[in-house]
Amino acid sequence: MKFYRVNALLYKYLKISTNRLERIFDIVYWPVIDLFIWGFVLRYINKLGAVHGSFNFIFGGIILWVFCWRAQQDIAVYVLEDFWSRSLYNLFASPLKLSELVVSLFIFSLMRSILTFGFLFLIAFVLFSFNIFTINLTALALFVLALLLIGWVMGIFISGVIFRYGMQVQIFAWSVAWLIQPFSCVFYPLSSLPGWAQKVAVWLPTTHVFEGLRQVINTGIINWNGLAYAYISSLVLLVLSCLFFKRCVEKAKKLNLLTSHE
Amino acid sequence: MNAIEIKNLKKSYGKTLAVKGISFNIRKNEILGLLGPNGAGKTTIIKILAGVLTKDSGKIKILGKDPDKEKEFVANRMNVASPDSELTGIMTVYQNLKVYGKLYGVKNIKERIDYLLDLFEIKDLKHQKLKHLSKGQSTRVLLCKGIINNPEVLLLDECTLGLDPHIAYKTRKIIKELNATILFTSHNMHEVEWLCDRIAFMDKGKILKIGTVSSLKKLIKTEKVKMKFDKSEGLANFFKKLDIKILSLKGDTVVFEIDYKKHKLQDLIEKITKQGFKINDIIIKKASLEDIFIKVAKREL
Repeated sequence: MKFYRVNALLYKYLKISTNRLERIFDIVYWPVIDLFIWGFVLRYINKLGAVHGSFNFIFGGIILWVFCWRAQQDIAVYVLEDFWSRSLYNLFASPLKLSELVVSLFIFSLMRSILTFGFLFLIAFVLFSFNIFTINLTALALFVLALLLIGWVMGIFISGVIFRYGMQVQIFAWSVAWLIQPFSCVFYPLSSLPGWAQKVAVWLPTTHVFEGLRQVINTGIINWNGLAYAYISSLVLLVLSCLFFKRCVEKAKKLNLLTSHE
Repeated sequence: MNAIEIKNLKKSYGKTLAVKGISFNIRKNEILGLLGPNGAGKTTIIKILAGVLTKDSGKIKILGKDPDKEKEFVANRMNVASPDSELTGIMTVYQNLKVYGKLYGVKNIKERIDYLLDLFEIKDLKHQKLKHLSKGQSTRVLLCKGIINNPEVLLLDECTLGLDPHIAYKTRKIIKELNATILFTSHNMHEVEWLCDRIAFMDKGKILKIGTVSSLKKLIKTEKVKMKFDKSEGLANFFKKLDIKILSLKGDTVVFEIDYKKHKLQDLIEKITKQGFKINDIIIKKASLEDIFIKVAKREL
């Protein structure tokens, strides 16, 4: 792996972001709207006498979810940028390796996630007096990394599907993370889900992260078992999704899809 | 020494066999033109060599290496420009070229980009977004990208399409002066004839003929001759008796094809004058690359 080639793609993604208004806009748009809606709803519910701490659970969930959602969406959307501009031919004819493409997507999605996180932290702190850094910092860092891994898994997986099936499946670039959100227990505990949904949710690494977040907020204790499950399952899925991505690109090369996707 | 070696290359798209066991070599610093009708398999070969399309079978060596096994070595020394390959429209010319300069590990990228933009007369477009450029301007940017790494092997697929005559001429000169092995496809026969050391005629996934322009021209044993006479009566019958195919007969002007295997032009002139026809003018049209192309496509050669 050559860092100058990773750097070339980071430069490209940066320029696409700064040249295209919607790529700047989407760093903050939906998460900020989410934060405002939940913030006002929670204020109202608290006035009605809600359970103490629900405010922190939900704000913590919104802010940390960003890492999972942002990472997934950014990887898929920046892959799509090359489809839209029909530049895959030039990219794949260059010395660029697939691993360098994947690493640059990981790094760039992390950078954008941090930006979104920063915005949300500021708004939550200024408008709703919620400071996510009051949570145990070790636990916070571990939650963030686990959610990033899951975001990368989904992003790379859906990018593979896009390489294989082209732009007809591009809708998944924006929506895959939202498909797992209801089962990830971002805003509510696992126990509140119906039985059948619990059976699905318990398999998701994201569920164990958000369950862990609530436990830390409530008791200050880190659920190491839950975190271990989240990490091991995410890492296994990451390896599998990278292999899937490689296979999809190879298939696209075989079927002449790199230069003919519409 | 061969820079590109292709042996028994095959590629199919579903049930359609696009390349049917092609073999050819390109010597170091040679320019080989691939000519053929649409769907002949030219672009498929270029895509396989560029590494964006996987071959079904066959062997390829570029600069002595197998590109599937030593992609980095080969790709660093090769480049491609094709209308199928675009750059990022929302980025400026400079930004796009900088990305590829970095990908190819080019040193002094800024100077190299300035030199190339100057060479292709698009320095004023440096900070324009690509999506705002005309087709011809975009093609020139693509060509800049194609030679940004000073490639030893260059694949050019209809790369002068959409260029105005002045820039097309300049581009041909730039290509000719590059110290590189070039595989070149175009539908412009004049361009191919002027530029290429050798030409390969392709049709339906096969190479039908390969050779230098002069050696290919020697394959044609006929020439078109236009003769103007003082009268037209009896001309058609006279040519028919001589077994000469008349291509057109308008007034007192006859255009016919002379087959040198059957006739010599000097003998023919003698016979004509003996018959009482007076020749006022003769124009002999030498076989062009286009003539060869048509005959090859019709399998007449």
